[in-house]
Amino acid sequence: MLSPRTLRNLKREFDRSALAKVGVALVALVVFVAVFAPLLAPHDPTAQSLDDKRLPPLGFSGTENQTTTERVNGTVQVVNETVTVNATADHPLGTNALGQDMLSRVIYGARTSLLVGLLGTLLAAVVGVPVGLVAGYVRGRVDDALMRSADVMLAFPSLVLAIALVGLWGRAAIRVPDPFVVAGLAPGMPRTFTLPGTVIVVVGLVNWVWFARVARGEALALRDEEYVKAARSLGASDPFVLRRHVLPNSATPILVLATIQVAAIVLLESALSYLGFSGTELSWGFDIAQGRDYLATAWWISTMPGIAIVLTVIGINLLGDWLRDALDPGIEGEGGGGA
Amino acid sequence: MSFGRFLLKRTLQGVVVVWGVVTVVFLLRFITPGSPVDVVAPLDASPELRRQIARELGVDRPLYVQYFEYLAGLLRGDMGYSYLSGTEASARVFARLPATLELTVAATIVAVALSVPLGVISATRRHQPSDYAATTFSLLGISTPNFWLGIMLVLVLAVQFDVFPTSDRAFGFLESVGHLVVIAVDGPLVPPGEGTRLVVEFPLDVGAFGRTFTTWLSYIVLPAVTLGTYFTALITRLTRSGMLEELGQSYVQAARAKGLPETLVRYRHALRNTLIPVVTVVGLQMGTLIGGAVITEAVFDWPGLGTTVINAIQQRDWPILQGSLIVIGVGFVVVNIAVDAIYAYLNPRVVE
Repeated sequence: MLSPRTLRNLKREFDRSALAKVGVALVALVVFVAVFAPLLAPHDPTAQSLDDKRLPPLGFSGTENQTTTERVNGTVQVVNETVTVNATADHPLGTNALGQDMLSRVIYGARTSLLVGLLGTLLAAVVGVPVGLVAGYVRGRVDDALMRSADVMLAFPSLVLAIALVGLWGRAAIRVPDPFVVAGLAPGMPRTFTLPGTVIVVVGLVNWVWFARVARGEALALRDEEYVKAARSLGASDPFVLRRHVLPNSATPILVLATIQVAAIVLLESALSYLGFSGTELSWGFDIAQGRDYLATAWWISTMPGIAIVLTVIGINLLGDWLRDALDPGIEGEGGGGA
Repeated sequence: MSFGRFLLKRTLQGVVVVWGVVTVVFLLRFITPGSPVDVVAPLDASPELRRQIARELGVDRPLYVQYFEYLAGLLRGDMGYSYLSGTEASARVFARLPATLELTVAATIVAVALSVPLGVISATRRHQPSDYAATTFSLLGISTPNFWLGIMLVLVLAVQFDVFPTSDRAFGFLESVGHLVVIAVDGPLVPPGEGTRLVVEFPLDVGAFGRTFTTWLSYIVLPAVTLGTYFTALITRLTRSGMLEELGQSYVQAARAKGLPETLVRYRHALRNTLIPVVTVVGLQMGTLIGGAVITEAVFDWPGLGTTVINAIQQRDWPILQGSLIVIGVGFVVVNIAVDAIYAYLNPRVVE
């Protein structure tokens, strides 16, 4: 799949392009943070502390309206005053309305985003690639039927379909034990990590069409290649030809599409959890929604997770640009899109 | 094949896709746990009452009967009645459609007006500061979730600096124009439609229309920018890379060699050929735009189809949900046929 020539092209493009380096660095950072979240997070991201609610991030100060009662000359008076809240080094990115540490939540949110992005893309590819390869290779009625059903799928914006399916099917979640906590390396962190199961299935199901389209285009072009014809005339069966010749030679554009799709699904996941259609509360989109009501008093609750999303998606997009420029499969512009 | 026959063929294909959309939307209810009766019936309803409700909703009959009745109803423009309010679903859906159309059209105008010039500037001034600025902007634009961008715009331009309203929609564009028409015809108050609060002040003065229009504009600016940014960025990227490719082609060199002015070479030849793939991708991405409209509406409490879909899902109000999804699907198909027509116009070879 990755020939020496491909690797050389990747290396040359990487050396040439500063943006490719930035992309790889950003993605590496996000993956590192997601994997080692329990070791990196300063607090349990779900631990609430109402005494520390809405603390500003370092370098800023916030204000809170405080209502107290005071006894003046025998009568009780209600005193409304605005007090200044100072940042503490304990919560570098501040805290949300429940007093949860924003930095820890941003760190754990990377896990949700990346896992949904990777597993959703994998599912979409597993469904879409075989459908597209068969459609392009067999052509005729099978192709027509499959492509028409792909058109029907495309007529539903993926976000709308995803909202409908998650909203209607429920927000099933899978609790996975956290290996670091089980091994005793991160005391005080949540013992399990929640995977939003329905969301993963749904984002995979609404995005398979993009893989089907690209795979079909490749199969259409490859089926008339000399070596494919030769294999057929030597008596190779169609499944064999598809597996042995067509699939490996379609790998490059599918790989590039997969990269774009991870970015698209990360954005889709954040949109779903912003709207409350998710199975977990440890998600950047969920935190952005939580901050919506506190824009006037605690801007950082919505701002911090958004910056995390933008950096992650920029990283994946730059990585995708690098792969595309190095491997040149000619599929620019297609493939899902943002929320 | 003539252009007319090409269009006819695409329209027929579109009809097939619409039929598929309707079928999927109809079947959605049957692959969803729970029954419509649960939506309407009280928790302690007796089995008899539940049977009666099922009969009244028409959900006790075989699937194929319900399916054909639903299709027949749609052909008459009947989408059934809301489970919760009993109002006609089609009336509710079409009352919400103008707000969504307004938002998507405004976003598309923002996107096309900004992106094509940005892409051209970027390509013709490659490796200059304006190119770097445009590429940075477009990378940020395709990487930013639009709901977060919307919230940040609200934070800065509505909460910190009170330039725009934070959310909601005062009234529709047609109402702000209609205002002027009605004033011109007979002067009385415009009857406000669902969800509108159009207030006309008397006595009328010349600035009345201007104020109505400005109010309309102030409400739509932030949602339109929120929705349009991703598209602006995407089209900028496509225009830039397409333009760079075209400018390297031999026909461009030939045009230059025969002494055509550079502007003509760029805009008459290179840009026209650049726009062909751009139009295709824009058509394919129309779904993203409509999907983006749903979440933009949620951020700004914009009373369109998106908020209707979200509410209908949460309330399991099937007729409203199905009607909205079908209208969205049909809208997508129609836009794509239009895009194909533009494509065929720009590149007559596809008709053959």
